[in-house]
Amino acid sequence: MLEERRSSKVQLTSDHSVIEPRIQERREKDMSSSSKTVFRLHPTMNFARFGTSQEYYLSPETSAGLPIEGGGDTTGGLPIKAGTENDVITSGDLRDADGNLKRQAARFRIFAYDFQAPERYPEGGDIEVVPGQKLADGRIVTNIVWTVHLANKKANAYNVVNSEGLGAYADGKVPQLRNPEEYGTVDSPARLRKLMIDAGPRTIDSAQGGSVEFNAQTVASYSDGCGGIREQVDYPQSFPSDNYDELFQPCGSLDSLGEIRTDEKGRLLVLSAFGRTAATYDEYGDPIPLTGDLNNAGWFDDAADGPVSATLVFDNGDVEEAFGAWVVCGDPAYAPQIRNIVSVWDDVYDSWIRNLQLQPEIYDRNSGGFNEHYKPSFRSDIFPIFRAPLLQRWTANLPELAIRAHEAVDAITESDDPSKTIMAGLTYIRNPNQEKELNVGVPLMPLSLGEAGSSFLAVSKTQYFFLEQWDKNRFEPGSGPKLGPGEYLDMASLSNCLGGRYVPGIEVSYPVRQPDMYYMDRQTSGSGPFRVKPKSLDYAKATREKPFLGGGWIPLHDETDGLEPGDVSKFMAIPWQTDYNSCSIHQTSINTAGTETATGSPLTLYWSWPSQRPDAVYPSSEVVQGVLPRQVWSIRGPGTLTTDPKSAATFQKPLQAVKQWDQIGIILQDTVIEGDYPADFYLEVGSQLPIEGQSVYSVAAWPFNANPPSATNSEV
Amino acid sequence: MKLEKNKWTLKHLRQHLQFAVDLELWTIPFYMSAMFSIIDRSSKAFQLIQSIVNQEMLHLQLASNVSNVFGHCPNFSAPKYEGDKIPHLNFRLDTPDPRKKFYPASAEIGPLDEKRINSMCLVEYPEYSTGHEPALRDTVSEYGSIGDFYDAVEFGAKQLANDIQGGINQVDFFAAFYRDFPQLTVQDSGEGGFAQVALLIDAIRDQGEGRKSNELIKKAFRNTADDTYPKESHYDKFYQIREDRLPPTYPLKQVGTYTEDDKNLQKILVNNFNFLLNALQSLFSGGSRDDFLPVMVSIGGNITKCWKNGVLPKFS
Repeated sequence: MLEERRSSKVQLTSDHSVIEPRIQERREKDMSSSSKTVFRLHPTMNFARFGTSQEYYLSPETSAGLPIEGGGDTTGGLPIKAGTENDVITSGDLRDADGNLKRQAARFRIFAYDFQAPERYPEGGDIEVVPGQKLADGRIVTNIVWTVHLANKKANAYNVVNSEGLGAYADGKVPQLRNPEEYGTVDSPARLRKLMIDAGPRTIDSAQGGSVEFNAQTVASYSDGCGGIREQVDYPQSFPSDNYDELFQPCGSLDSLGEIRTDEKGRLLVLSAFGRTAATYDEYGDPIPLTGDLNNAGWFDDAADGPVSATLVFDNGDVEEAFGAWVVCGDPAYAPQIRNIVSVWDDVYDSWIRNLQLQPEIYDRNSGGFNEHYKPSFRSDIFPIFRAPLLQRWTANLPELAIRAHEAVDAITESDDPSKTIMAGLTYIRNPNQEKELNVGVPLMPLSLGEAGSSFLAVSKTQYFFLEQWDKNRFEPGSGPKLGPGEYLDMASLSNCLGGRYVPGIEVSYPVRQPDMYYMDRQTSGSGPFRVKPKSLDYAKATREKPFLGGGWIPLHDETDGLEPGDVSKFMAIPWQTDYNSCSIHQTSINTAGTETATGSPLTLYWSWPSQRPDAVYPSSEVVQGVLPRQVWSIRGPGTLTTDPKSAATFQKPLQAVKQWDQIGIILQDTVIEGDYPADFYLEVGSQLPIEGQSVYSVAAWPFNANPPSATNSEV
Repeated sequence: MKLEKNKWTLKHLRQHLQFAVDLELWTIPFYMSAMFSIIDRSSKAFQLIQSIVNQEMLHLQLASNVSNVFGHCPNFSAPKYEGDKIPHLNFRLDTPDPRKKFYPASAEIGPLDEKRINSMCLVEYPEYSTGHEPALRDTVSEYGSIGDFYDAVEFGAKQLANDIQGGINQVDFFAAFYRDFPQLTVQDSGEGGFAQVALLIDAIRDQGEGRKSNELIKKAFRNTADDTYPKESHYDKFYQIREDRLPPTYPLKQVGTYTEDDKNLQKILVNNFNFLLNALQSLFSGGSRDDFLPVMVSIGGNITKCWKNGVLPKFS
């Protein structure tokens, strides 16, 4: 069927070798004029998320926890119903009729910009381009050819070192390879062939629509750059089943990395695979055991990432290549509206501000740093930092003091004198510029675990600068310079992901802070900011004899030729479920290789990813007459009971996490939960884990401690 | 003057409990101001004082809880910080007299400096075991140490145990921070209630002011969460700070050079502190906890804002 469809639409070009030079020539010509129309995909980075259902909803296009203009009480971050422009999901949309968790498709759009170098940010003024649309210059878009290439390089990648983070790549070093029993380097064909999952690229166009999977049954294809699609039957596809006679696949066959399709307006949807895993067997015929959280040898998962590109075809025969985007397929969003204090957006924006002259009026590398006269805007720059703490109570067992204090922080308005507020003097905010404070716990906030090598989280340096300016009464009321709709999508998409503490993270890891991961010439190229630079790949040269992709980009090694498919997700845990499961609550020493560096009791437990990985939740079914029930652990029921609080809220056996991750509930705002609940509650819905039994009601008020190493250590 | 026949009246006990609340309340702005004057929040001095401030808040809660079960809702009025006068303590009565050792001292609000750290040591000066019965006095100003004072309170409380009405306006914000502490409130009445009262008084004595020299804090009374040195008493902690080099503090402007904005910072602190006192009054009278918590946190911010601008914090 697929072949039939393909044969009717594919327009083969006669000479592929001339395609790239033609595109390049066109771009150079265009850039030489003072102003021109450029096309960019947005969001620059978007996230498809696992589910077990064939059904799906769409990635959120608003920012977690923030008020939405015209959105009533419902805050941002909610996914969108499939087939709609922006109708947010309700609790009834989370699972299909059989109870399977729906996947989240990443939706990409194309925007046209009137570009003139040097570019400023935000630029605004962009308009979305869809097939049939007439541009200002009179051209009409007749077709959009979308190409996506997904790969999973996790098993061939380097270990995640949880106490070192990016530092593991510093000074020319790299960590040890995963699966070291497979001989070779990260670029060895034998290792790549055996350990990398690569379906190759897939292309569809808006004119034909339909969908195509990233599996072994479909043929690799790519845009020819002239409006056609070219098949590559010699692409060396690779799945675990190609290399192992027998695999342990507890949730079904790991035979796909996802799927692409177009929507009714010709936009691109990228769907993830189904969150499956595969393990090899040992010499006794048993599946290789899961021995850790991050780097399990002998295991594969179906997370993936890669470039997204679009070729626009016009009625006058013109063909233009848009600046591409990147898609990451990974963990479900279990709490989509609970805002991270530090999100991926905060990290990426901070990096662009301080390293890439994004907004020299805020930070100018040439004049030595932040501009003390700059006035951040209250609604865009300050309030999101104030809103995030308020929401933490819905996924963590916060004490009453924290809840009340967070309410007071959230209540601060742009007309308040900062000196009169609870945030006066930033007395309780950890200063990211003071390294020693990264090991100071109470009273400094955020009071969750920090990044590799430090005990506690700190806001980004740009966030802190904005707070300092606000504290000095140097801020503007309102929302400040308005983002264009495409720029807004970039921000919204990244702001819904876990930042700050990665180790290695949920969607992406520390490398997102590295400038050389992105197009760094955006002021002259027209690419716009935050756009991952793809490595130029000549698919025509692919052969079955050797892997097409290599070890790929790594940070801190001056690699500036771009990323290959799989170069983002390879820094994440393998399999992803073991990391999600274990990253609940920890002692701070987990970040510092067991050495105690934090103030306070070394036994006190802190949350790892409280916004993104719910720990303690309120099940909506237990709310009575608008009164909150006791909190329960989000991961609970058989197989979760523990005698040590540090292991609470997790499946005690990691294999259970691999099998039951889809049974965990989702935290949604009451306004989209079916039933009658107070307006400001965020409650757990859709959990398939029980709410009875000893393992459920064991949530202690914070602060709570891990058991001491030995009972004999306790002094009397 | 010694109490006649060692016989306590309820009025006498309630007066003592009010003074206990006064003293605990007095320490909080004094210690907090010194703490937030330290520029380096990761410094050991900052950490040590913070752990003491937190425990002084606990003590205020415990003393207020005890007062309430004896039928006296404590009054929370703005403390006075004048000269070298620390309310209700007469160090001349201590043996040995600590004033020479901890000189110069000042009971006025100020940054962490020699005068302030000496005063802190004086406030927390240990009760040396005399082997005598508690000195029971008519006026609370005649106690040499807080330990001595609380010994007397416990003695009186035992005599008047039948007057204990457990569960009256009991407040607890700290249970999770003291996982080994059996109970931070008094819930029982009469003799049963006295055991709980005695426990709370013992905690105050043991953690800070009244512990015997050279003893660690009892396990039950140790902070289990956010204190890096949970076994050490307030006196030991302050003494360590005193023996180490004092950390740099924010520079102070001359009062005469204060701008209107500077004066406004002081005004904000005074207003918020008054609000806090009212919130405390409400809290220990059975009122809402909601108002109390944010304003208590805000006070720290107001103090910091003063220091960062070179302004002396002011509470009344």
